[in-house]
Amino acid sequence: MNPLIAPPLPFDMKPRARDAVRDLKLQQFVGNATHLKDTQRGGIFGRDFGHDYDELRTVARDTKQYALDHLDELLERFITNAEKSGAKVHAATTGREACEIALNIARAHGAQGRAMSCVKSKSMVTEEIGLLPAFEAAGIKTLETDLGEFILQIDGDAPSHIVTPMIHKDRVATAKSFVRELGARYTEDPTELTMIARAHMRGLYRTADLGVSGANFLLADEGAAVICTNEGNFDLSVGGPPVHIVFVGIEKLIRGARDLAPFLKLLARSGTAQPLTVYTSFVRGPRRVGEHGGPKELHFVLVDAGRVGVLASEKRDLLRCIRCGACLNACPVYRKVGGHSYGSMYAGPIGAVLTPELERAQGNTDAGLANYADLPRASSLCGACYEACPVKIDIPKFLMHDRARLRERGLSPKSEGHMLKLWRWLAERPAMFRFAIRAVRLHARMLGSKDARSGAEHSWIKSAPGPGAGWTQSRDLGIATGESFRDWFARRDNKSGGGR
Amino acid sequence: MRIALFTTCLAEALAPRALKATVLVLEHVLEHVLEHEGVTVELPAAQTCCGQPMLSNGLPADAAILARRMCEIFAPYNAVVTPSGSCCSVVREKYEALFTHGSADHKAVVALAAKTFELIEFLETQLKIDPATLRGKTPSAAPITCHDACHLRGIHRHGSTAPYLTRACCGEVRELPDAAQCCGFGGMFSTQFPEVSTALGEEKLAHVASTGAATLVASDTGCAAHLAGLAHRKNVALRVISPAEALAESLGLLETGAPNGGKP
Repeated sequence: MNPLIAPPLPFDMKPRARDAVRDLKLQQFVGNATHLKDTQRGGIFGRDFGHDYDELRTVARDTKQYALDHLDELLERFITNAEKSGAKVHAATTGREACEIALNIARAHGAQGRAMSCVKSKSMVTEEIGLLPAFEAAGIKTLETDLGEFILQIDGDAPSHIVTPMIHKDRVATAKSFVRELGARYTEDPTELTMIARAHMRGLYRTADLGVSGANFLLADEGAAVICTNEGNFDLSVGGPPVHIVFVGIEKLIRGARDLAPFLKLLARSGTAQPLTVYTSFVRGPRRVGEHGGPKELHFVLVDAGRVGVLASEKRDLLRCIRCGACLNACPVYRKVGGHSYGSMYAGPIGAVLTPELERAQGNTDAGLANYADLPRASSLCGACYEACPVKIDIPKFLMHDRARLRERGLSPKSEGHMLKLWRWLAERPAMFRFAIRAVRLHARMLGSKDARSGAEHSWIKSAPGPGAGWTQSRDLGIATGESFRDWFARRDNKSGGGR
Repeated sequence: MRIALFTTCLAEALAPRALKATVLVLEHVLEHVLEHEGVTVELPAAQTCCGQPMLSNGLPADAAILARRMCEIFAPYNAVVTPSGSCCSVVREKYEALFTHGSADHKAVVALAAKTFELIEFLETQLKIDPATLRGKTPSAAPITCHDACHLRGIHRHGSTAPYLTRACCGEVRELPDAAQCCGFGGMFSTQFPEVSTALGEEKLAHVASTGAATLVASDTGCAAHLAGLAHRKNVALRVISPAEALAESLGLLETGAPNGGKP
């Protein structure tokens, strides 16, 4: 798998974050796109739902939570109904198993002596399970048909955003890639670029042996999947090839079409500020007698890959996530460090909690957080993600939860822990605590610098030791060195005869 | 009614002027606007730290010890008021999860949360002070701009400082572009990821500069220290003050400080 989203473990986020902050192009592309999408998201919800927006989120939260609480029952219902309509349903406990199931399906259709080909529409879970490397190893040539994913594929790059995977790239880079890889003439015109990709893909849809996609929702009542795209590439990948495989995490289940409305209202608005995605496709069963389109065989691969473990943990709320990407767009840290800094296909706030949790839940109990110790700390806990989340996942709460687990396991810097413990110890002893504050102020008065701009009552520390060094690397620390607030308050009390 | 000032340790060390301003504004409102007899602002001496640094950095048990202290210290009062938005949100939103539902500690933190307020919130929603009544005799026309602490989101007060100060005529309040984005402080995040924290701070300062205001009103001591420290290092002439100071200056209760990177 691409080391950008599947790095060597344990993963060190800091060098990537530092490089990203200095990468002016990334700052421009990611900064502009996230700000724009976030602003548009606020706009469309305000315009379309006003004060009812919060109620809509509550409904979506509760609906998804209900489904998670009844997952066993819904799974059974889905399987029964999907099989009734002629689809084949497979269950995969691990990512490897899911890939193996797909390879077996492919092998059953492979023609001797001819390489197989696959057209694939966008799916996060296939990134998670490493489907493409598995296909590649088996000699199956896969074409990413989502335009962004296609560009990343020909560049050997990796997605850096759940919804807009090439948010870190621009048209100029795309134009160059198309010249280099497709022999196209150079153009930066988005329509022309799209037409080049389209011309390249069209024939391949017709000749592909296999179609692969993800799904946004699984409907238990109907035994169907719902796939939301803007490019219609899913419909082509399901319409052309004789076999189609839908990979889907089991958390995508909801009761049925009766529960779908709030999610369709929220998904596209949260992700891209559209009322609906351009295509909202329902797939249920293979081609029936008399029908002209659709695959002869339809497979659903229901992927666990840690989800059952998450469901049993205190982080079960994370499974409500509908992968809209709103928290990434809203997150100040994501805006600065970009998706590849998170070392996972799930970037941003949701990725920071989901990545270690999925790894933990897949049996790697201790390594989960140890492998991604930076992720829970890479947040200012500003709460923008929680505010943006259409299903109300309290991401800051889970980040704090993970910080506690890191501390318990000795995976956080020791010096910091000792300092905090000392701080707490002092805080239980008011006289000593006040003395400590006084000492800091005295220290600043003696060693800090004053200047004309600061006035006499303020001193600036230019270089601090220990954890403070991170502060003074780029900032001065202004400490008030004049009369303390308590002295002032006491002085006033005395003046007014202790009456106040 | 007994009103206690929740000073916060950060403000005692870094921003005593914000605390003085809070006392002066509250007393002004009680005496001259509401004409309440005998209501004073008290300073419970034993208060220290609310536990936010421990809570945010993986030491909830340590935070719980300090949360219990806070409950005891502020038990005798009817209202607890602080100029620091982030510390306020800890008491209001975060303490509850530290204790088992229904326990005595849980009841105590719920009671404390119900009577703890950020200053502007206290004036607006509790004392119901129309900001127009807080107009100074000679309203300032100097341009200012406001940055609200992200943690005010949780108590539905994000973005509420600027309109209040506008109506109180604390200066010509200019709209801060991209006001909803975090300034990058984030407590120890600022020392753990200094480059990211600084990049966000620089973006905030650039937006502040674009307004033309030489005074930034920040509703949290941490955000203020971060932005003032960054401005000072970069030799940017910017005064960073709290909403309390903006009101106190406008009312003539405090002298307006010289433009600088900190709080005189």
